[in-house]
Amino acid sequence: MVTKNSADVVIVGTGVVGVVIAEQLLDAGHSVLMIEAGPRVSRAEVVENWRNAPLGVKGDTSVAYPPRPWAPHPTGAEKPENAYLQFTGPDAYDQTFIRYAGGSTWHWAGTSWRLTPEDMRLNSLYGVGRDWAFDYDTLEPYYVRTEHKLGICGPSDRAQQWPQTGARSADYPMPALPFSPGEVRFTDVVKTLGYNNIPVSQARNSGMPYDGRPACCANNNCVPVCPVAAKYDAETALHRLEKKGVTLLVDSVVYQVETNAQNKIEAVSYYDQHKQSHRITGKLFVLACNGLENPKLLLMSKDDRNPNGVANSSDQVGRNMMDHPARSFTVTTKDPYWSGVGPVVNSGIMQTSQGSFRSEHAGAYFRYNNFARNRFVTFAALKKGLVGKALDEEIRRMTACTADIVAAHEILADPNNRLTLSDKKDWLGLPKPSIHYDVGDYVRKSWEAYSQPIGKQIAEAMGAVDIKISPKFNNSKHIMGGTIMGKDASNSVVDVDCRSHDHENLFIPGGGAMAAGACGNSTITMVALALKAGDAIVDQMRGA
Amino acid sequence: MTRQSNDPNGKLMMSRRGMLLSGATLLAGSMAASLCPGMALAAVDAGAQSRFMQLSNLLIDHRLNPDVGARIAETATGQYTNFAGMLDAIIAIAEKKQAKTVEEFFGDIPEGELKDFAHWVIFAWYSGCSSEKRDAKVFTYEEALTFKTTSDVVTIPSYGISGPNLWTRPNVPLSAPMPRF
Ligand SMILES: Cc1cc2nc3c(=O)[nH]c(=O)nc-3n(C[C@H](O)[C@H](O)[C@H](O)COP(=O)(O)OP(=O)(O)OC[C@H]3O[C@@H](n4cnc5c(N)ncnc54)[C@H](O)[C@@H]3O)c2cc1C
Ligand code: SF4
Repeated sequence: MVTKNSADVVIVGTGVVGVVIAEQLLDAGHSVLMIEAGPRVSRAEVVENWRNAPLGVKGDTSVAYPPRPWAPHPTGAEKPENAYLQFTGPDAYDQTFIRYAGGSTWHWAGTSWRLTPEDMRLNSLYGVGRDWAFDYDTLEPYYVRTEHKLGICGPSDRAQQWPQTGARSADYPMPALPFSPGEVRFTDVVKTLGYNNIPVSQARNSGMPYDGRPACCANNNCVPVCPVAAKYDAETALHRLEKKGVTLLVDSVVYQVETNAQNKIEAVSYYDQHKQSHRITGKLFVLACNGLENPKLLLMSKDDRNPNGVANSSDQVGRNMMDHPARSFTVTTKDPYWSGVGPVVNSGIMQTSQGSFRSEHAGAYFRYNNFARNRFVTFAALKKGLVGKALDEEIRRMTACTADIVAAHEILADPNNRLTLSDKKDWLGLPKPSIHYDVGDYVRKSWEAYSQPIGKQIAEAMGAVDIKISPKFNNSKHIMGGTIMGKDASNSVVDVDCRSHDHENLFIPGGGAMAAGACGNSTITMVALALKAGDAIVDQMRGA
Repeated sequence: MTRQSNDPNGKLMMSRRGMLLSGATLLAGSMAASLCPGMALAAVDAGAQSRFMQLSNLLIDHRLNPDVGARIAETATGQYTNFAGMLDAIIAIAEKKQAKTVEEFFGDIPEGELKDFAHWVIFAWYSGCSSEKRDAKVFTYEEALTFKTTSDVVTIPSYGISGPNLWTRPNVPLSAPMPRF
């Protein structure tokens, strides 16, 4: 039974991880109460926010999602000292998740690469990083379920699929999306270098409606919002969950996870937007606040029984923070590529992520960004002082003949890459997250010896007349590692089902559990883990 | 069932009101940060407004939307104390040359205040904004001229121009004609 203050299962966070578990539990007949820090908004409002934002800040996804005072999230507008995310260490852990009902799939690109069997055995095969606690074959059925749940399209030709080494037990529910002219040219060019630019498997409806959402019609606006919901985002699922009877509390920021004498979770407490505190009890709790907010909440919840924080007897909560450190090559070419036709990311070179070199340095995934280039080039063209026909032609040339190639790297789990609680407080008086982050020698070595040379080789083959390389590693916004999975409770936070080793009725699924993240965008893996956790929760509830 | 407690400080109400206004703007077929072209028109007198469009048409050889022009003119009056004087001065330079295109008179505009203003007017029409910065005024998004220069190929993000899986096309050479706008 669900009441205002209690349910069988309480889920904190309404991102994709939270909603897939919620649906599984509702379908199994359990009452589910979801608590969401941010507001519930309409798609029209988000689209309007974005369209009305100045051209110069359209690259800052937060302009479409202004944070509410009680649910801060990173924005490009803040000075470092006032920013929500506080950084120490040589590299910034500059994430741009949002705290809105539906979470960060609102503005994800939808790229969905599976891990390979080798990615999950880094330590055994290459002597670096961590192995996953189970193998690819264990995860494979959950990948299939994820692809069908989210509506992930992809190629049917085995040679064009990823991974090549692991099995695939079912086809994608929809065919791959066609390539834009730029992607066709890029694919042909890299083929001459021996690289296979394959269609991205992506959570976008390809040529047909799916899941009650329309077919992708090339609005080229997947980041920061698909105006027609052809791209999966968790907001689209919330409507269905409501029909299935979920109770959803929005503008409600959970700040404490409470344990009882048996060290089981008894309740969570949240602040509403009036700073009033409320307590919610349940039989089982799922934290689905993402890989950064989950560890923060666990650390904030320390009590006498759990002096390092809830679920943290291993001292691993908040450690091993990972992402995919990325460098970009902005290439000016002689011949036009014309980015901005079709979805924003539609192809990629994955073969460069694999190889025996991984004992020495990271692999990298290369992608051709297919964002319309006008907003990237207009100001530069105007600064040239041109007028009339010359100005028109320069904008057209720069839009057609510039392209961004991105190299995203694999980072190793490193306990020193660590989230702690800052002394600085947010609007509610809760500690801001502080992250110490260093991409590490494994990544830097790759950049020097491997990925940068490949990137330059690709740029030259594209006919580059100019190459600008980003001066530092950027974040890919794939938050992983902070509640790491393992079989050994002394050096990991959750078990193979994302259940806390310390608290049998607490699940912490999603990116935080990933022990290694390879190079490919990882939400598909987060969701696969969520579905696996969902199965375990259904089993556990049966016995409850 | 979704529960949302009442907004204590009016922020959500603000955003809902903003949304309604912007919805109305969408229906009217244009989009602007000031969200109310009527107000913009009232702030700049009709004479200056029409002089501004005259200047804009001299500086830019394309069809220009007067609603967008009204918003640019409104910001220009606040930003340039000598707005009316500069309009007259640049128009006089063009008329003296009997110029039909910007190329025929732009070089005659003296460097300094006048030239900077002429560049700013072009900037505003092409970028749809008053500056590159975060606090820029937005005059238009989808009618910014930058998008018109590539409208035969490139999507204005959020306004698809093809259809489901219908975007396969040849790679248009740079020698292809400029779209007419
Ligand atoms: C610009 C961008 C592009 C991206 N593109 C891709 C891509 O192409 N492919 C890919 O795989 N991934 C991509 N990602 C990453 C992807 O968005 C995330 O991996 C994914 O959204 C994580 O899902 P989640 O459910 O774990 O967390 P989230 O989506 O972050 O959801 C967490 C939810 O919990 C809520 N919450 C947080 N704290 C609290 C609290 N204290 N109390 C109550 N609720 C709380 C939040 O408001 C939010 O709704 C991208 C991310 C960004 C920013
Ligand atoms: S290309 Fe357009 S329609 Fe397709 S997913 Fe992206 S924004 Fe949506």
